[in-house]
Amino acid sequence: MKRHNANRYWIALYLVPIVVLFGAFFVYPLFFNIYTSFMKWKGSSEMTWNNFANYCKLFSDDTFLLAIKNNVIWALSQGFIQVPLAALIALMLAREPKGWRVMRTVYFLPNVISTVAIAMVWVALYNPQYGFINAILKLFGGEPRNWLGDPSTALAAIILTTVIYVGYFMIIILAAVMDIPKELYEAAQIDGASTLQQELRITLPMVRGTIVTCMTLAMAYGMRHFESTWLMTGGGPAYSTTTMGIMLYLKMDALRYGEASAAGIVLIVLGSVVIVAIRKIMGNKDPMAEAAQ
Amino acid sequence: MNVSLHGRSVVTRTLMWSVLIFFLVVSLLPFVWLVMNSFRTNYELETAPLGLPSRLSFENYKSAIATANLPRLFLNSVVVSVGAVLLNIAVASLASFVFAREIFKGRDTILTIITAGVLIPIISFMVPYFTMITRTHLYDTLTSLILVYAAINLPVSVSLITAFMKSIPKELEEAAIIDGCGFNARFTKIILPLARSGLATSATFCFIYAWNEFVMAMLFTSSESSRTLQLGIRFFTSQFITDYTGMFAAIVLSMLPTVLLYVFLHNKIISGLTAGAVKG
Repeated sequence: MKRHNANRYWIALYLVPIVVLFGAFFVYPLFFNIYTSFMKWKGSSEMTWNNFANYCKLFSDDTFLLAIKNNVIWALSQGFIQVPLAALIALMLAREPKGWRVMRTVYFLPNVISTVAIAMVWVALYNPQYGFINAILKLFGGEPRNWLGDPSTALAAIILTTVIYVGYFMIIILAAVMDIPKELYEAAQIDGASTLQQELRITLPMVRGTIVTCMTLAMAYGMRHFESTWLMTGGGPAYSTTTMGIMLYLKMDALRYGEASAAGIVLIVLGSVVIVAIRKIMGNKDPMAEAAQ
Repeated sequence: MNVSLHGRSVVTRTLMWSVLIFFLVVSLLPFVWLVMNSFRTNYELETAPLGLPSRLSFENYKSAIATANLPRLFLNSVVVSVGAVLLNIAVASLASFVFAREIFKGRDTILTIITAGVLIPIISFMVPYFTMITRTHLYDTLTSLILVYAAINLPVSVSLITAFMKSIPKELEEAAIIDGCGFNARFTKIILPLARSGLATSATFCFIYAWNEFVMAMLFTSSESSRTLQLGIRFFTSQFITDYTGMFAAIVLSMLPTVLLYVFLHNKIISGLTAGAVKG
């Protein structure tokens, strides 16, 4: 830019608040976190250089490796089950069946309700004594179980609860499907293409970019999963449902701040790896450019 | 799309409707079960978990309000959410105005960095946030939550409001400049009023986030006087020990504000979500 903007002082002034607030809560924490991840630090003012010891400790800890594995399971289930389910419902609603607007609104509803409330409802639904799920099972002659209390079922039981959020990605994919020009379908119908053929040959290729974006987001959310597991099982029983976020919190709670910081950095790095990897596999779009749009 | 389902095979239609109805049930049933049992007694719940309420009694709601200090929790959540929304919208609209309506060096870089903030997993910042909050003596205050919630929502608000302000025609502003409107007047008199709808959408997103947030509230507060509603209902488990239906009533009350907001503003929320909240 050759010409100076005459309003440059005003512009700078208007940007001061966001630079302060964004700087304080996004930029500074990132560098602070990187710095403290190399420190031996118990939360007091005393900090000593610790090289890669925090990272070595994390990666030789079986529980942390299990947490990474659980996060990967979360990411895969969100990206490859949740998003395709959302896409399936979106394709159906895009055909505008009776009441599709109301259905769209209802599907999204759970997304405006707090994770705490929803987690507590699920804990009640899974309750071995009075829960809805065991009551239904008994009705069909099944054996009631303590789904969240059994290490072999707890992780699957928690992941299953996220199906309630299917409306989130459905809304985004639906909007993309509704943007496809009608003429494409009219032409296909004249050529005698069946509904299934239309969906496979027109709809899916046209909304591929949106679906990849949704998968990326879903997997990124899976890698940073913390809240509902924390609320439902606290990472147990026997660490079977633990995630990197939960390990971070537990380490911080135990005043192992250096290790907690390192866990935070691992979380950021692995989260970014997942975003880049899914982009490489599914398409070449740059997620940063996409986010900036 | 005008491609109707008339003439499709019965099998296709049955399949489609079973899928749609199945997910409707999944989305609604937990809440229906919760609301129904909030009107029942604990004895009824334990003996017949699938039963219907025998009468419409607000006993559980009365005991929930009395046991859990709900009014105080509500007030705290209102203060935090409204405070966060006001701060977030003020900061984001000032910045969005210059991003959308001015040309200057580094504009796109700064905007990209801010909007890319959505890619950061906020929970990885637990250590730095906690350190910052305790060192500035904001620990156990509602102010800490207002600051954090306002800041965390900046990427979403800035991308939504900037996109909205960009769509306002240049001519309106040019006419105002000819009439002698200065920089500030262009913002307050022209762009801000025209961007009302975009501001409202961002404010709604920010409010829902702030009302529902749990992790930071757990991290930054300890005493009951600065406890938010979400933290409060987390503690209900111990307060209500065996009074499950009383706890259900308290949870229903905690969901009301955002559900009501959604009932009235669902079109705005849905269009905001598809306009850019997620894309950017």
